[in-house]
Amino acid sequence: MGKLGRMQASPDRLSRRGFLMTAVGAGVMFGFPAARAAQQFPAAGLPGDGAFEPTIWCAIAPDGAISVNIIRAEMGQHIGTALARIIADEMDADWSRVKINYVDTDPKWGLMVTGGSWSVWMTWDVFRQAGAAARVALTEAGAHLLGVRPDQCTTRDGAVVAGAKSITFGDIVSRGRPSRSFTPDEMAKLPLKPAAERRLIGNGDLKALDIPAKTDGTAIYGIDAKIEGMVYARPKMPPTRYGAKIRSVDDSAARTVKGYLRHIEIDDPSGTVQGWVVAIATSYTAAIRAADLLKVDWTPGETAHIAEKDVLDHGRAQIGRKDGGVYVFNDDGVDAAFTAAASTIEREYTCASVMHYQLEPTNALAFEKDGIFEIHAGNQWQTLILPTLAKALGRPEDRIVLRTYLLGGGFGRRLNGDYMVPAALASKALGGKPVKLILTRSDDMQFDSFRSPSVQRVRVAFDKTQAITAMDYQAAAGWPTQVMASAFMSKGVDGKPYDQFAIAGGDHWYDVGAFRVRALSNDLANRTFRPGWLRSVSPGWTSWGVESVWDEIAHLHGKDAVQFRLDHLTGKGRNAGQAPDSVGGALRQAAVVRRAAEKAGWGQPLPKDTGLGIATTSGQERGMPTWIACCALVHVDRATGIVHCRKLTIVVDAGTIVDPDGARAQTEGAALWGLSMALFEGSEIVDGLPRDRNLDTYTPLRIADVPEMDIEFVASTEKPTGLGEPGTTPIAPAIGNAIFNAVGVRMRHLPVRPSDVLRALTRHDDAEST
Amino acid sequence: MIGRIVAAVAGIGVAGGLGFLAYAWHPAIAPIAPPASTAFSAASVEHGRVLAAGGYCAECHTRRDGHEGAPLAGDYLMATPFGAIYSSNITPDPETGIGRWSQAAFVRAMRQGVSRDGSNLFPAFPFDHFTHMTDGDIADVYAFLMTRPPVHSVKRENTVPFPLNVRLLQAGWKLLFLHPGAYRPDPAHDAQWNRGAYLAEGLSHCGACHTPRNAMGAEKAGAAYDGAPVDNWIAPPLNGTNPTPVVWTEDEFFQYLRYGVAPLHGSAAGPMSPVIHGGLSEMPESDVRAIAVYLASLDQATGRQGGDAARLAAAMRTSARDLTGPQTDPDARLYAGACAACHANTGATPVLGRPELALNNALWLSEPTNLYQVVLRGINAGEGQDGVSMPSFYHALTDADLARLAAYLRRTRTTLPPWTDLEHKAASVRATLPAPPVAASH
Amino acid sequence: MTSFRLNGHEVSVDVADDTPLLWVIRDEIGLTGTKFGCGIGMCGACTVHVGGRATRSCITPVSAIQGADITTIEGLDPAGAHPVQEAWKDLQVPQCGYCQSGQIMQAASLLKDYPAPTDEDIDAVMAGSLCRCMTYIRIRDAIKKAASATRGEPSNG
Ligand code: FES
Ligand code: FES
Repeated sequence: MGKLGRMQASPDRLSRRGFLMTAVGAGVMFGFPAARAAQQFPAAGLPGDGAFEPTIWCAIAPDGAISVNIIRAEMGQHIGTALARIIADEMDADWSRVKINYVDTDPKWGLMVTGGSWSVWMTWDVFRQAGAAARVALTEAGAHLLGVRPDQCTTRDGAVVAGAKSITFGDIVSRGRPSRSFTPDEMAKLPLKPAAERRLIGNGDLKALDIPAKTDGTAIYGIDAKIEGMVYARPKMPPTRYGAKIRSVDDSAARTVKGYLRHIEIDDPSGTVQGWVVAIATSYTAAIRAADLLKVDWTPGETAHIAEKDVLDHGRAQIGRKDGGVYVFNDDGVDAAFTAAASTIEREYTCASVMHYQLEPTNALAFEKDGIFEIHAGNQWQTLILPTLAKALGRPEDRIVLRTYLLGGGFGRRLNGDYMVPAALASKALGGKPVKLILTRSDDMQFDSFRSPSVQRVRVAFDKTQAITAMDYQAAAGWPTQVMASAFMSKGVDGKPYDQFAIAGGDHWYDVGAFRVRALSNDLANRTFRPGWLRSVSPGWTSWGVESVWDEIAHLHGKDAVQFRLDHLTGKGRNAGQAPDSVGGALRQAAVVRRAAEKAGWGQPLPKDTGLGIATTSGQERGMPTWIACCALVHVDRATGIVHCRKLTIVVDAGTIVDPDGARAQTEGAALWGLSMALFEGSEIVDGLPRDRNLDTYTPLRIADVPEMDIEFVASTEKPTGLGEPGTTPIAPAIGNAIFNAVGVRMRHLPVRPSDVLRALTRHDDAEST
Repeated sequence: MIGRIVAAVAGIGVAGGLGFLAYAWHPAIAPIAPPASTAFSAASVEHGRVLAAGGYCAECHTRRDGHEGAPLAGDYLMATPFGAIYSSNITPDPETGIGRWSQAAFVRAMRQGVSRDGSNLFPAFPFDHFTHMTDGDIADVYAFLMTRPPVHSVKRENTVPFPLNVRLLQAGWKLLFLHPGAYRPDPAHDAQWNRGAYLAEGLSHCGACHTPRNAMGAEKAGAAYDGAPVDNWIAPPLNGTNPTPVVWTEDEFFQYLRYGVAPLHGSAAGPMSPVIHGGLSEMPESDVRAIAVYLASLDQATGRQGGDAARLAAAMRTSARDLTGPQTDPDARLYAGACAACHANTGATPVLGRPELALNNALWLSEPTNLYQVVLRGINAGEGQDGVSMPSFYHALTDADLARLAAYLRRTRTTLPPWTDLEHKAASVRATLPAPPVAASH
Repeated sequence: MTSFRLNGHEVSVDVADDTPLLWVIRDEIGLTGTKFGCGIGMCGACTVHVGGRATRSCITPVSAIQGADITTIEGLDPAGAHPVQEAWKDLQVPQCGYCQSGQIMQAASLLKDYPAPTDEDIDAVMAGSLCRCMTYIRIRDAIKKAASATRGEPSNG
């Protein structure tokens, strides 16, 4: 049954329209023209009566409007537009008639997740097939109406054409009432357009459909969701992420706040939130004040005194032990190569905690209506949180619906839907009354699922010609996937599950002889906080170790850092790549390295204390590599240790680029995240919690910190891979390597602070020793 | 709120003997039947209204703590080092106000600080300034007050302890510090200057806040307009010791007093706001101009202006400092995030509405008090520059943040030595706010 | 009771004096284009115009704007076609879009102070407007584009 039928069967599904009317009402009152107010209705893409749905993915209305169902969350990638292009291109739709429809949870959509830079890569085949299905069905029906055979017809710009005759898709639907549908097997056999005939994919002139509403205040985010009769909630956060027990709550001061209704001690059967108290009030300001005034006495959990250093030391100790961990690679001969080595190098790299600071603080609106619990929020992984909500609420998953709104930033924070749980439980405690729970920024940061601090140790063995004979790469960090989504973990070569999002990147594409990659779950991290997936996940920090050590070796052996990389990116053996996702393998990585170096003027003389550094990665995962290389130009002030990144030159091969402007935007944003994490932000665990709670002390990159940027995409017709995160991955090591080239000191901790550079400069000898 | 005169209460120990008693003792002036409002000419009432505004009568005679009192009905709390003093009801209510005061009684109060019943008034009431007004002006203020709606309102009891509460002793204070009599024009200056001096010294009593006081709470002789603490703020110097890089000229004073914002010095805030928006705004422009002329002569603007262009240029060069190009200093980043959007100036002169901190008293005074006050309280649309506001950073910035910000600004936007003990001072200024101005949260 | 003008309409709200203007606009009045980001005046997401000047509404008590003129993103231009908004659409500045109401309000006010802004002017005045999606390059370009559109000059991009 298509969306349309489902909606007719349960008219309450339109309830979202109900709350939006509130906003529309205000809009009219305060001077929006009605037409603009109407844009606030986010389900504008719904087809009308009589629409034709060749697959679940799109519907063509009798008036020719095409709505494309998008199961991915919109958080800045313009993902609806990118995916809609794929389907619309394949069906030869008129782009001006295409609308996007962000759908609610339903089992028929399959895995609903937006992360990992997967969306385009995961949807590419399905949407091209769905587009082909629509094209075929419309062509058949159109041919019939035109009185010709289907094979005499072509499609173009939303019409079926046969010689001088043509008929639009809308007319075909209204007059021909096509009804053909396709099984997945049938779909997979349909002919697809060759790359040369694409008009929408790769077209740089198209504008993203979500942008106008994001410039006039009409875009609706989770925090904007409203429903008649809702009350507001703000949590009072316990002193530890886990294990805090409420001893007593005194709300006598809170009761002086006008609008305060009550407090609720959240008892969460899913264990997602522990020891939370929620203040309920008639306005959010009252909830804010009341929560400030609630006096709660807790017994804190056992991690109340854990510091960042404890977590790092624990990781070091894990790496130092033989037992534990999971082997991602464990080639024969690693130990033998080290025993036989003429020389070896061993280095440790560490990275500090990093906060998401997605600009919209986490929030959710929850209520029960006609036996269904509805949760309205921005979220990136509906399929993950649904079972947790079911457990928390004590009801089956099919009695819960998640409605996804625009996200005021995801960056992985909203892969973890923990913030929905207290909203749902507060509503449940109030008999299903609508509760809008919003975290203040400090609340949000206190229990952010931040990027775990990490320790990497890299050992490399060389023979007497200085050729690499083995590499042993180990990394210990909190494991988000183990903590939140253990079923999604990968299996190591030893058959044990590991978090691929806490090691990916360590499994690089260089030839290194016998290769061992060992991943360690830092259980102290996992117990202290809820480790999160943060933009570019592990490749955002494993690259710091891999690409720094690669430069260290090059310098140690007097090799050129670019050539040294090229020499080891040969595309042999496990690095050959596989169709369709990694065709070409490491040779494509070599190509971006070469191009980035050339563009950046590698090898040319530079002013004093200025250096160019290179780094390269395969983006997120070996299974879907986005080949990327970056040259960073930096200047280091020897007097202050301040590193000024002047220019980033980035070359990316992500296969076919579906949305060129969007690809550029994602790479700009991702690279600046990389820069921010390299030089400007970073936190630390103090007493079991992140030290920084807001922008007075947490200092992500701002406009003045932006360097010159030169971004180039490799022209390609290979399968598209990801673009949301890869841009982040090479930046920090490129900067670290540039610092070395500028002033000869090697930085091994992220973020790089001026004081650390200064300290390194004063004991300069550190740089060249083995 | 207007600057509170730190009440001087005592002339203890200086007084003695019969002669003093003779001096100190005043007869009651017989009560009268409250005059009908028709007893006063419309012109007199209207002129009195303007003068009452320019003397800020309503500011100190209207209750604000706890709840909003009726205008002029008194009971305004003045927290003095000697105890709480509550102002009196100056509506023409016969029982609780001045309804039974004759004009003569009113003139005596204004000139000599003596109540109708003959008791001495605390000099929290600035009769040491009002004494300089002309008879005609005092009569017009009387006309205005006597035609206000009478309000029955009993003020709270003062908490000034014995013996300071012995009003007779106030006479000793007057003996020392009161120089009664109407203003006498200075023939060395023109009429405009003299008009300004008349208003500033008398009716508008500028020195009451801007002149430091001695141990007995009287304005210090020889230190006129040197600047003084008032109501947990600092009233900056109005003479040549004012430390801002660019001199307060007649025009700067005029813009400030008329519109609440001086292009090169910034906005009025705190106790100065009602002076401008509740007081001087009612006065004719020529009077405000005259005050500006007088104040510019007090601070010797003409003589000190020579280096202004260079000092202005130097200050402006610091304005966008650390804001263009990458920045890793956490304090500079705090400033960039919290302040720069409104305060950064990149041109040769400040944009009106972008108060330039490098030129502002708040950074150049010897203490960070005013900076902290403004940052913690913010500025209402009705204060400072009309219709625009500054938010309150009360919940946004911790005391440590405030200290970092103050140290950073002092270091980068002035040439003066650093302030000390900044975090502690931030906490004490914060403690002077009766309540958080805004119900935000960190 | 506080009265002010919002997007040209007279409004009175009966809320506590210390209520932040942001929540009055969002929850009492129901215009949600103005966003809550940091709540401490340091991200700019809540920026509105008070008397024509960009102001952080999250820490501005409603009592402070008694009698003032407030403009929100919804009222910047009746058709959503202010030169800044047009430039924003042309250059596809927004990513998640959450910061953009504030960026646009700040930029519109910047152009009043500096009609032909340099990179330095932009960096200094936009310093308080955080974009976590890091759309800064385009923000800078779009401000310049809007500036030349306002001056009627062709833009070099
Ligand atoms: S929400 Fe107001 S500045 Fe961040
Ligand atoms: S566009 Fe997402 S925070 Fe700016």
